[in-house]
Amino acid sequence: MNAPIVARMLVAAFAPAADVDAIAGDMQEEYVAIVAAEGRLRGDLWFWSQALTSIPALLSYSRRRAPFAARLTTGFVALGVLIAMLAAKDGLDRVIDAIHPASMPASLYFTLDWSVAFVFGGLLALLAGHHPVRLALFAASALVAAFAAPDVLALSPSLSLPALVLLLGVVPSMTGGAAAFQAIRHR
Amino acid sequence: MAKGQYLGEFEHVVLLTVLRLGDGAHGALIRREIESVTGRSPAIGAVHATLDRLERKGFVSSWIGEPSPERGGKAKRHFKLEGAGVAALKDARSTLERLHAGLSFRERFA
Repeated sequence: MNAPIVARMLVAAFAPAADVDAIAGDMQEEYVAIVAAEGRLRGDLWFWSQALTSIPALLSYSRRRAPFAARLTTGFVALGVLIAMLAAKDGLDRVIDAIHPASMPASLYFTLDWSVAFVFGGLLALLAGHHPVRLALFAASALVAAFAAPDVLALSPSLSLPALVLLLGVVPSMTGGAAAFQAIRHR
Repeated sequence: MAKGQYLGEFEHVVLLTVLRLGDGAHGALIRREIESVTGRSPAIGAVHATLDRLERKGFVSSWIGEPSPERGGKAKRHFKLEGAGVAALKDARSTLERLHAGLSFRERFA
């Protein structure tokens, strides 16, 4: 009997590599006991609450475990991947504009940009050592925050709704790419 | 006791729980014992993060056990109280006893 997969992925993404099995095993052990005694719904709720309330402690725990040099290298790798992703997206947009200026449906841009984010999420997972899904989540969120910050600070939104949706979609796309790559690698 | 070796409140709770359970306790057992004795339900991540801090301070030691099917094939990390941990608990207890000595809650808050 398996606990909710997304909650399990959250724990795996935030727990330090050296202790991820012990933590996941402890949660699974209690989950099985709760499901047997109180039912599946109660067990799922317990597992989700444990996963979510564990994140702050696991974050500081992982940081304590990782050497500074490794964290710095990972930061540079993530920054490089983000810059390459923006360059790739820009290049693709130019190609589309050159082929069919002003007549392309917005959905094409959405599909292409989110696909680029998905692929670069996978690339980040390939290059990063531990916690590639968490890293992709942070990197994509930082990118979105950097683009949205001028609007938020100026308090006069210049981003249109489609542009905002396009931007926000980068977070699940990039994280999904990293998770998919990690799942393939661990099969 | 050296600076940085003092016990935080939750560290104190976790260390006492390891002492109550004896050698070989693991994260899930420690979390459940804290819940049943104190009535608070700590996150398993917080329990493991605290055990890691206690291990770095030399108060507990740990080892990895065998994987088991009821844990989804994951191994347990077992914990054992060390001499420095016992000394830290004694120190914390005597500090609290000194602070409590001569206090009367009834007079003060009547």
